[in-house]
Amino acid sequence: MELENIQKEAQKAIKNSNNLEELNMVFSKYCGKQGEIGLILKSLKKLSKEERIKIGKQTNKAKNLLKLEFDKRKKQLGEKSINKEESIDITAPGEKVFLGHLHPLTLIRREVEYIFQKLGFSIVEGPEIENERYNFDALNIPKDHPARDLWDTFWLKTKEPLLLRTHTSPVQIRYMEKNQPPLRIIVPGKVFRHEATDSSHNIQFYQIEGLMVDKDISSANFKAVIQEFFNEFFKREVKIRLRPSYFPFTEPSFEIDMACLTCQGKGCSVCSKTGWVEIIGAGMVHPNVFKNSGLNPKNWQGFAFGIGLDRLTMMKYRIDDIRLLYSGDLRFINQF
Amino acid sequence: MKFSYNWIQSFFIKKLPSSEKLADILTLHSFESSSKNGVLDLDILPNRGSDCFSHIGVAREIATILDIKLQIPPINFIRNGKTENFISVEIKAKNACSRYVARTISGIKVSSSPKWMQERLKLCGLRPINNIVDAANYVMIETGQPLHAFDAEKIIGKKIIVRFAKKGEKITALDGQKFDLDPSILVIADNDNPIAIAGIKGGKSPEVSKKTKTVVIESANFNSKTVRASSKKLGLKTDASLRFEHGIDPNLAEFASNRLAYMIQKIAGGKVSKSLIDFYPKKAFSKTIKLDLIYVNKLLGTKISEKEIKNILERLGLKTSKIGSYLKVTIPTFRLDLSLPEDLIEEIGRIYGYENILPKLPFGSLIPAKRNLKVFWRGIIKNILKETGFSEIYNYSFISKKDVSIFKINPLEVKNPTSSEFQYLRPSLICNLLKNIKKNNSKEIKIFELGDIFGSTEKTMLAGMVSQDNAFFILKGTIDLLLRNLAITDFYYDSYLENISFWNSKRSAEIKIGKQKIGFLGEISSSILKSLDISEKVAAFELDFEKLQKFCSEEHEYMPISKHPAAIRDLSILVPKKVKTVDVLNIINALGGVLVRDVDLFDIYEGKEVPFGKKNFAFRIIYQAEDRTLETNEIDKVHQKIIKILDENPEWQVRK
Repeated sequence: MELENIQKEAQKAIKNSNNLEELNMVFSKYCGKQGEIGLILKSLKKLSKEERIKIGKQTNKAKNLLKLEFDKRKKQLGEKSINKEESIDITAPGEKVFLGHLHPLTLIRREVEYIFQKLGFSIVEGPEIENERYNFDALNIPKDHPARDLWDTFWLKTKEPLLLRTHTSPVQIRYMEKNQPPLRIIVPGKVFRHEATDSSHNIQFYQIEGLMVDKDISSANFKAVIQEFFNEFFKREVKIRLRPSYFPFTEPSFEIDMACLTCQGKGCSVCSKTGWVEIIGAGMVHPNVFKNSGLNPKNWQGFAFGIGLDRLTMMKYRIDDIRLLYSGDLRFINQF
Repeated sequence: MKFSYNWIQSFFIKKLPSSEKLADILTLHSFESSSKNGVLDLDILPNRGSDCFSHIGVAREIATILDIKLQIPPINFIRNGKTENFISVEIKAKNACSRYVARTISGIKVSSSPKWMQERLKLCGLRPINNIVDAANYVMIETGQPLHAFDAEKIIGKKIIVRFAKKGEKITALDGQKFDLDPSILVIADNDNPIAIAGIKGGKSPEVSKKTKTVVIESANFNSKTVRASSKKLGLKTDASLRFEHGIDPNLAEFASNRLAYMIQKIAGGKVSKSLIDFYPKKAFSKTIKLDLIYVNKLLGTKISEKEIKNILERLGLKTSKIGSYLKVTIPTFRLDLSLPEDLIEEIGRIYGYENILPKLPFGSLIPAKRNLKVFWRGIIKNILKETGFSEIYNYSFISKKDVSIFKINPLEVKNPTSSEFQYLRPSLICNLLKNIKKNNSKEIKIFELGDIFGSTEKTMLAGMVSQDNAFFILKGTIDLLLRNLAITDFYYDSYLENISFWNSKRSAEIKIGKQKIGFLGEISSSILKSLDISEKVAAFELDFEKLQKFCSEEHEYMPISKHPAAIRDLSILVPKKVKTVDVLNIINALGGVLVRDVDLFDIYEGKEVPFGKKNFAFRIIYQAEDRTLETNEIDKVHQKIIKILDENPEWQVRK
């Protein structure tokens, strides 16, 4: 029978095909619309009904069988052809894909915010242009007092005397005026100082202010919170120490030093050979500051602190010049 | 401030720890300190200037911390002269001078001071001059009381008057420097002229010289604010003014005067007047503070015993007596800084040692941190821009004088700039970003900044900048992506023809959300690029962050994916150059209705292959229905309708 021969012939051709192209040709020769089997199916019209059904069935059966074999062979050849593909030079460089970069101050600020938020501190912000009341008077820094010299100030040519805030502490007052304790906030922000610039001083930098007020918040609480922060931030136990300091808006006032990470407290150029790096100014909120914010100092106790974000960033990434942070130099920023 | 280790040691019988150890101890309990070659460098805190700008003051600190006894230096001298014979004193400015002690020493021999004195002065940064002046400086560094010696014979009218200067008065100081005085400046005058700027510097006229036989020594207490104001006005800071500015115990004046008399007699001989002239109308007395013992431990978070608290206070020279649960604490007049219970608690804390306070986590209501939306959206926006290839810049909030003329702007000016480079406050983020473009070699740069600008108000802005040929459209695409990711959909770009400063008015657009303007997108005008020497094309956007933030939303709803296939038809149309994309798009969308799911302009062509003055738009229209598979003839019908209507415009030609 013709069909049987066609089938055998086709099976043989499938087996003998060496690649997908040949296999495709075999397929169209036998199973395509104009292929051998196709022609048989076309010719069915001429036959009697009985024969049409009979031969039709046989032909379709043969066609399906061949299709299966085609698929099988196709798979074999496919695998074969993959194995035959040329190898690539995997040491050649990858296509360049570009991602932008966030500024290191953004990265460190986020980390600090994240840690304090975990400790229940909300993030609050305030304006960069301030008046004397918020920047000085309400913070218990009297006019004509040498203490004001601690904050060299940029003044603006405005009708009412306005200035660029010299610290983020004004936000303490602004926040306490509007909110009742208990409160826990941090205030990240840009501050300005009218001073000569060098590798560790700049006319603008960032601070993160912290304030926690409740019925009986103590210096011991401050020590614990700040220790927690340092351990989280540096991902290890960091040695800190408190020493006396003076800020008109806190009493007692402290300076917090951390053991220099560069020399592990042995003394190096980073810590001016002292083994310690000054990192936070802090203290217990001065009763006058509570009064000036409309709170009764008899009812509340709290601590406040200010961290230098730039210094923290410089320590974390070992950046040796603060001015790099504001240089707009992409060779610097694109390293982060 | 520099202190001599040996000098401090001289106040103690007991041997002090080494100077390095002493510096460490002082750092932990009093002031940041360092030591080098027998010199202690102490960073005296501003509130302690009144008692610790002196060797005795520092010695007192050490005595308190180490709990050892302090020996006050001697003042035993022979009194055998008369002050009134030589001088009289009149205080006219009573509010600015709370005490004035004067005495004379006659028959002195002016020469150079002994070597030990010179050495101590030099260690502390003072230049030896002669035995009288050196003795006065020595006692000042020792006690903290500024002192001055006049040649009595050179004081005209034998009269010392403390008054404010008269208009037009001048003075030549000891070092020859000339100063114009005014009625805000306190002076010491004789009958005719000012002879010293009170509390700041002596005048040349009554200078002590080799011929001087009789000196008047002044030990006075001038008002700290007056001295500070004069010092600022004259731009003159001295060892004396520094001390007066910080306030001094008026009771110190007499002791210091005696100590100086002792010292002069010892090194220059002479007869010290028996009596003192002492103007001291309102005596300063000790204050008392009521200290709640429970509050001490509550504020420090400690358990310091009552005994120890009392011990610390007494070591500090304060007297205590117990009244109920309170301590009545009497403050000696030299501790001008102590006036509140909290001040005493600080004293207790630092002497007890902050290292002895054990950390204790706070105990309180569990209130989670409130979310700050501004901070939240700032984070999201920065991340999106970073992911689209932008680098973040932190610029100065200042711009230069030169920028003002380049950008033709009128920004807020700083009254006391550090340099003309930082003379104004930035009224836009664009100015400094442009300078970043220049600095980073202009080519293919994508940068952004989020920060405050200053005008009539302070505003937070978000600005981005790209330097590249297709900069405008790169930024437009970025804004599209950014706003869509912030779930803002009803935004659009409105043409803006008014000429404003740095934008190229023909190539800029206003960005609006609904009816609100939220910012600009545009190319930077070529004249500004030229003056900054930037050759690339630069485009920028600047958005009002606070306005934008209000539109941001976290709402996000899933859109069902149509189960029915989409059909794609391309449409190419030749139009005059001036025709805007949106003109064609609007017609396609209007005619297509719900069946058009999306229209994408995938090519704009101008050039050789199209007639002059024309351009070719190639759109890809995606047809899809939510509820059924669209039949070919249904799509064709709509598509043909679109073509027909577009073609009706005589200047437009759909290419078939």
